[in-house]
Amino acid sequence: MIRRAACALIAFAGLADATDPAFFGAKVYPVFEAAQCRACHASDGVASGTRLHFPERGASAQDIQSFGLSLSVLVDHVDPSKSLLRLKPTRRIPHTGGERIKPGSDEERILTEWIQYLAANGAGAARPTQTASAQPGEIVRRLTHSQYNNTLHDLLGDSTRPASHFPSEDYADGFKNQLRMQDMPPVLVEAYSAAAEKAALNAFRNGDTGHLIPCKAASARDTVCRDRFVRSFGLRAFRRPLSEAEFRRYTAAFTAQADASASFLEGARTVVEAMVQSPHFLFHVEAGPAGRWADYAIASRLSYLLWDTMPDQALLDAAAKGELRTPAQRQRWVQRMLDNPLAHPALDEFFNEWLRLEKVLNAAKDRRRYPEFTPELAAAMVEETRRLLRHLVWDDQNFTDFFTADYAYLNADLADLYRLPPPGGEFELIHLPAAAHRAGILGEGSFLAANAGPIETSPTARGIFVREQFLCQHVPPPPPNVNTNLPEASEDKPTTRRQRLSEHVDNPVCASCHRLMDPIGFGLENYDAIGRYRSKESIQIAGADAKAKTRKIDLPLDTSGEVAGIPDSAFTDSLHLGAILANSRVCRECIVRQMFRYAYGRMETAADQDTIQALFAGFRDSGFHFKQLLVELVTSPEFVRGLNPSSAAKRSP
Amino acid sequence: MKLTRRTFLRGVSLTGAAVRVGLPPLAAMFNSNGTAFAADAVRPASTIDPRFVLWFNGNGIPERYWIPEETGADYSLTPCLAPLTRVRNYVHVISGIDNLGARLAGQGNGHMNAICGLMSGTAFTGRGAGGPSFDQILAGGIGAKSRFRSLQIGVAQESHGENMQRNMSWAGYERALPPEMIPHNLFDRLFGIRNESWVARKKSVLDLVREDVAEIEPSLGHADRQRLDEHLSSVRDLERAISSLPPDYGKHVKEPEDIADLTDYPRIAKIQSDLLVHAFASGQTRVASYMLTKCQSLTRFPWLGLAGNRHHDYTHNNAGTPEQQRILRDICRWHVEEFAYFLERLHSVPEGDGTLLDHTCCIYVHEHAEANVHKCNGLAILLAGGAGKMKTGMHTKSHNSIADVYQTLAEEVFHAKLDEPFPTFQEKMSEIV
Repeated sequence: MIRRAACALIAFAGLADATDPAFFGAKVYPVFEAAQCRACHASDGVASGTRLHFPERGASAQDIQSFGLSLSVLVDHVDPSKSLLRLKPTRRIPHTGGERIKPGSDEERILTEWIQYLAANGAGAARPTQTASAQPGEIVRRLTHSQYNNTLHDLLGDSTRPASHFPSEDYADGFKNQLRMQDMPPVLVEAYSAAAEKAALNAFRNGDTGHLIPCKAASARDTVCRDRFVRSFGLRAFRRPLSEAEFRRYTAAFTAQADASASFLEGARTVVEAMVQSPHFLFHVEAGPAGRWADYAIASRLSYLLWDTMPDQALLDAAAKGELRTPAQRQRWVQRMLDNPLAHPALDEFFNEWLRLEKVLNAAKDRRRYPEFTPELAAAMVEETRRLLRHLVWDDQNFTDFFTADYAYLNADLADLYRLPPPGGEFELIHLPAAAHRAGILGEGSFLAANAGPIETSPTARGIFVREQFLCQHVPPPPPNVNTNLPEASEDKPTTRRQRLSEHVDNPVCASCHRLMDPIGFGLENYDAIGRYRSKESIQIAGADAKAKTRKIDLPLDTSGEVAGIPDSAFTDSLHLGAILANSRVCRECIVRQMFRYAYGRMETAADQDTIQALFAGFRDSGFHFKQLLVELVTSPEFVRGLNPSSAAKRSP
Repeated sequence: MKLTRRTFLRGVSLTGAAVRVGLPPLAAMFNSNGTAFAADAVRPASTIDPRFVLWFNGNGIPERYWIPEETGADYSLTPCLAPLTRVRNYVHVISGIDNLGARLAGQGNGHMNAICGLMSGTAFTGRGAGGPSFDQILAGGIGAKSRFRSLQIGVAQESHGENMQRNMSWAGYERALPPEMIPHNLFDRLFGIRNESWVARKKSVLDLVREDVAEIEPSLGHADRQRLDEHLSSVRDLERAISSLPPDYGKHVKEPEDIADLTDYPRIAKIQSDLLVHAFASGQTRVASYMLTKCQSLTRFPWLGLAGNRHHDYTHNNAGTPEQQRILRDICRWHVEEFAYFLERLHSVPEGDGTLLDHTCCIYVHEHAEANVHKCNGLAILLAGGAGKMKTGMHTKSHNSIADVYQTLAEEVFHAKLDEPFPTFQEKMSEIV
């Protein structure tokens, strides 16, 4: 059997000439993918300005072929050898991404054949490919582990948080709640089933302590009370009324168990156990067939986005009355919901994942060098960031101050680390004087220490973090078999981290990507690996043998840099860098994109651009109030996509 | 099979405490002392179904301390391989294996692209593997009749948290099969004691769940139907697992003690290995993946006297210095130590005319060869066990790809086809079977 191309790199012998468009998919496309053009020239790439409309991953042969034809615009039809499509990736003319295809290589020959084909077939070869890629085919979302825990609590009063012991949710596309990853492998279904069994058992262990049964059962066979229980619990568990078929099924199962055990509660327990592992509980399918319960689906979308748990009775009532249909109606509800303290931990989870706050908790630091970096200090760093975010959001501040705030929430340890006088109380707001040399998130330990090595800083890691989290741009990874060891500083040649990293820029293979990352991180070289300010870099040179003393050499720091791709972004220090980010459209829009990805559990596609722009406009016009961004989200047409609540009005009972 | 007597095997846990382990379904094969076998009850070895284990360790290796210099049977065990002394005749060290899949245009860093290519032969999609992993391809063929089609087992948790780093088994395109990391959960799945009324009740509950799934499905679009299908098939797997509980087996496997320290990996690894051996011995599954540490592992190793730093940090910070190389040596030796423990436990269980190890085929891999440079060609792997006439007890330098290894073992040991598009050199490796 023939295996996939045993890597395009291996077998180029016996190439067919480019005589038909299929040549592109078979030969040229793999070259582009290997050269990783997509990594930068995509909507979320560093070079999104010169975006190429790469087909989605897993695209059909036809899509790939029409992409190939669309490249005709980069071909010089008079002199094909002068085509940008050839000159750029081979870096025969300046290319920010560097040399991606070696001049004179087999890969270039393949590309040249395609260019000649496109030139020969004239502009007519190009067919439009701008068919905006549709939103991914609906994929139902599953409760996240935290939503599952919270819902079990609100539904049954069960505080055991069983999902904390389920197979963990992993990051994909930047968050842990991405719907494409919300599979149902056997191990998870078993975990749901075991947890449901325990929760149902606990619920009725000492009678109906949680008041789940709305009536007093006269006997195990009290069908009136049974029916009331199945309907009322079903409404809350499935977050919409039961269908008649469901009602019949669950009442029958109730009776079978209640009869067999002569116990009303045993019947109730079976219903609870089955319902909390039903797909109607685990998945967001509240709308039901033909959108019959679209109003309830809106209630759940609001509740799980803003509270991270099931709708309360008031929301369910509002759904029953059709009071969540219009943007104006939802706007009133979102205001009420944001005033509820439940909204705080719900939004915290977004920030935790966006900023990877667990990273600093797991960071490893050299104990001899940084004895003050304790688990408590790391936890304080997370708290510092969380307080800043809560202040920005809930006190209606301009959210772009996240990058420039001249104040911070510190405890005594952090104040000590930042060389500031201790605060009056734990995590009290402290004004940061100019001498503190720090502002906003770029001056916080949760970012600086998390993105640094055990001993030394890592301008590269800090640069990648800024690119990916704050600018929503992917940075291509290093190719395999590249030595990532940097030259070490020596007595004869004492060098700063920055000087040693210049290797990255001198070596063309490294430079193409590292110039996107390192110069951002250079701006943060004033902070050591645990986020302490330093005006000089102190390097330690080990003695020639064990007895010889380690020698310390202080070297001056150069903290100037730039954010390649953002115009006029040369900066002199981290405060300057923070201001550039706060004022940059890319960064401001990225905040919206990140929230979109988290809120909808998926990456945005070309078809979402209008939505993103509308969200951004509302966010900007409010003076970047984060609460307004949430209001924009739930009043946007995207929020009720697939629900069509206005037509549901006619069907509602 | 006639069961005449219940027989106990005696094993020793890491803490030195004797663990009494009963293997009722196999009892017919043993005589009263539990080591020899009753001639009239012996099944010929050839009818015992071979088991498969894919064992993964995060990051790469220090080649100089890992790969033997000599080839053939008379090679010297290197410092990293030293723990294999007692089972070396069951082990085939193979160096020079190429991970072609890692060179496809994966969308992740060197680690993610490497594990993705290694497990599934596909390019990392940015979210997960592009197709099923090798263990799942095998499970699709040989797992169908077992209580569990396959098991995924894990030990150490720490990683950067990406989907691709935390899972080694993939059911299909971007469909991760997460490993069970908590010994208690694994024990409950395998040996939790259930009585008949529990089973009857559970089945009626699952009936309701299945009807709910079946009822929503028609109203959904294609992608959602697929997801619900997956849910339904997992519910069916659960029903099958409940229906085919090995009778009474669980009563005799000691429940693991509560583990207060979930970072005591040497201890957890041994318990997970014990449970897997029991699962094999009691015929509950034939296929398992075992993820000792995560891809791009950030595991810490206090029991090796390594304070503070994490595995991945060690592989890149001055990794070339002698001191750092020795640290990497100790870490990779620990990986081998846990694998050797697992092999020895398999070897301690009599089966047919040999032991469980004689009927098992293990592949032991890391995501990289030399760790620092993210090297994807020249991987060093271990094949272990005696299933299907595997050739063992030597070191071979190879130029084949990992998929050649998979293909050879699939066809020669498991009589299964490797139909998924693994990138191979399409060579049968006569040196391994």
